[in-house]
Amino acid sequence: MSNRYAYFIGCTTPFRESNYDLSTRRIMEKLDIELVEMEKAGCCGLYYELVNELSYLCMAARVISMAEDEKLDLMVICNGCNSSLYRANKKLRENPELKEEVNNVLADIDREFKGTTEVKHFVKVLWDEVGVDKIKEKVTNLLDLRVAVHYGCHLLRPSEEIKFDNPKDPVSLDELVEATGASSIDYPEKSLCCGGYVLASNQDIAYKMTGRKLINVKKAKADIMVTACPFCNVMYDANQRGVEKELGEKINIPVLHYPQLLGLSMGYTPREVGLEQNRVRVNPKIFE
Amino acid sequence: MDLRKELAEDVDGKTLNYCFSCGMCTGGCPSAMMTESEYNPRRILHRAVIEGKLEDDIWLCTNCYLCQERCPTKTKVADLISLMRRVYVKHKSIPDFIKPLVVNLGACGFTQHIGELENKRRKRMNLPEIKHTSEIRKILKKTGGLYE
Repeated sequence: MSNRYAYFIGCTTPFRESNYDLSTRRIMEKLDIELVEMEKAGCCGLYYELVNELSYLCMAARVISMAEDEKLDLMVICNGCNSSLYRANKKLRENPELKEEVNNVLADIDREFKGTTEVKHFVKVLWDEVGVDKIKEKVTNLLDLRVAVHYGCHLLRPSEEIKFDNPKDPVSLDELVEATGASSIDYPEKSLCCGGYVLASNQDIAYKMTGRKLINVKKAKADIMVTACPFCNVMYDANQRGVEKELGEKINIPVLHYPQLLGLSMGYTPREVGLEQNRVRVNPKIFE
Repeated sequence: MDLRKELAEDVDGKTLNYCFSCGMCTGGCPSAMMTESEYNPRRILHRAVIEGKLEDDIWLCTNCYLCQERCPTKTKVADLISLMRRVYVKHKSIPDFIKPLVVNLGACGFTQHIGELENKRRKRMNLPEIKHTSEIRKILKKTGGLYE
């Protein structure tokens, strides 16, 4: 396994969820994984998959080429970036004509896509490469919590391409949560989407979807919910008050980025993992 | 626009021919669940095959891929609906709700405008400053993705 990655944070994390960036850096430091900055990296191109395919592939190839220049694999912390970059990488490697077309565009900005780097979601890095056992060795503060895990869609699907974990019954993030001492609880419709993708086109539908999962999580008596994607987190945490209004019901479930949970179990203080920035307030005492 | 022809030119689009309208896609679709099947991927595919028509409902797909995972005939349902959205943009227009994202990408290289406020917060957290890039604008211009 590699202990150095080109570290890509995308758009949503620096815009709204810098605590996710902060806590990811903390846990990787504790695991002796070096994250190499990607200055001026910009956007992975995800949404353009729905707008203009050549624009999308060029934007994704540009980001991948930055990691290639450093001779490093690329680590992402967003499910959207995972889908966009992983799939573009695969498509361009398998399609020499398309690769040439993309490289003709990239030549204008003095870049070239070669196809020499791997794109990895941090959950894959932790579960597949670091391993749960090594993570447990770094856990000094065993947590006693009931956690509702939310994988999000693009960590696992389309499984024919992404090929990670068991897409129908995944265990990776549950096992990573349980490495902290917490219990990952079962709850209905665990694979339901957060609704983030339709937030801009139809907020009503998006909030209904978000709300449905939050109600399921609440009924299952979870103490907190845990995500591995900044946009899923925005839907459940930052938009929770709006969703409550839509539902006419109080939910009040704290939602943590996974690296925040792991960081707390590794002995970092709530402030060191940016917990005060989570929108739904959480009593830090539950992590003691 | 001949929708069927446009779809058939794409490798994922060709899989539309596999669909026999069983409805497994719609049974697992979260947008269908939230709208009492008013949003209906089975109907979207059927409409494309039989009538060669595209309607605005394609923008309600959450891109969650559950439909595609469940499809017994391996029709690339979600990829097809993404493809239909690209055809929609090409022949109709870019939907209003996407325009701010295009503007932000052109201006700073990110889908949201990351500016002073975000960087001040990052500085307090000892995180590196986020710097804008003009390379995305150049890519979008060259690939016809600026929609100005």
